[in-house]
Amino acid sequence: MAEHVTCQDVVELATEYLEHTLPADEAALFEQHINFCDGCDWYLDQMRTTVAAVGRIEEEDVPPETREKLLAAFRDWKRA
Amino acid sequence: MTRIGVQRSTASADEVDLLARLRAGDEQAFETLVARHYGTMIAVAQTYVKTRAVAEEVVQDAWLALLQSLDRFEGRSSLKTWILSILVNKAKTRGVREARSVPFASLARERDAPAVEPQRFRGSQDAFPGHWRAYPGRWGAAPDVALEDGETLRVALRAIAGLPLAQQTVIRMRDVEGYSSEEVCTALDVSAANQRVLLHRARSHVRAALEAHLDG
Repeated sequence: MAEHVTCQDVVELATEYLEHTLPADEAALFEQHINFCDGCDWYLDQMRTTVAAVGRIEEEDVPPETREKLLAAFRDWKRA
Repeated sequence: MTRIGVQRSTASADEVDLLARLRAGDEQAFETLVARHYGTMIAVAQTYVKTRAVAEEVVQDAWLALLQSLDRFEGRSSLKTWILSILVNKAKTRGVREARSVPFASLARERDAPAVEPQRFRGSQDAFPGHWRAYPGRWGAAPDVALEDGETLRVALRAIAGLPLAQQTVIRMRDVEGYSSEEVCTALDVSAANQRVLLHRARSHVRAALEAHLDG
C-alpha cells in the first residue's frame, strides 16, 4: 500500500475500516486521511448514517398464505 | 470510535421473554418471531434453492422443526442464531436435493462496481488525483431528522430490494437484523473477505441512494 490513501481509496476501504478489519498500518493511514479531509470525514458519517438507517427498517410482511399455514402448524403443535 | 453492528452471543432479555411465551403456547409470540425473522429466512433460503416458492417451503419446514425441538433449546446461543441454524439445515438439505443452481461463491462475484462514481474524483492529470472534486454532503448535522423520515427508510428499503441476492442477504442480516459477520459467514457459507465485499457493495449502494434522496 502507498504511503497515503486518496479519497477514492477511502470510499473503498470504508467498510473494512468500520468493521475493524484493516491491518494496523492501513488503519493508521486511513485515520490520518480522514483527520485532514472533511470530505472523507463526512463520507464516513454518511456510511454510519446509512447503517443506522438500514437498522431502522422494519421487516417485510409475511405473506398471508404462509402466515396461515404456520399458525395452523403452531396450533397443531400446541395440541400435541 | 463507535463500533457498528451489535453482536449478541446469548439470548437477549426480549428473546428470553418471547421464548417463554412461545413454550407456553402464546400464538402472539409465535407470530412476532415469524414476522421478525421472515425476511432473513427467505433471503437465506433463496441462496440455497432455486425458487422463491421452494424457499417459502423451506422457511415453513424450519419453523415446524423449531417447534418440534423447542424443548431442547437451552438458550446458550441467541434464539435468532438457533433459528438460523435450523433454517440453514433445512435449506441445505433441500438445496442438495435440488442441486443448487447457483453456488454462493459465484453470487459473491456479481456486479463489481466502485462505491462512488469515478467521475466524482479528480483525474490522474490533476494535482490531487483521486481526491474529491466536490465534497459529499455533511449529513452529520441532522442525521436523526433524516432517519425519522419514513420516506428515507423507504428509499433505503427500495435500494436494498434492487441489490443482487447475495448483497441483499448480507446487508439484511448484518444491518437490519444485527447478525454478526461470523454468523453470516456460517449461514451463507462464504469467507469473511467475501462477506465484507458483499456488505461493502450493499452499504455503498444504499448510501448512494440515500444521497440522491437527501442531497438531490
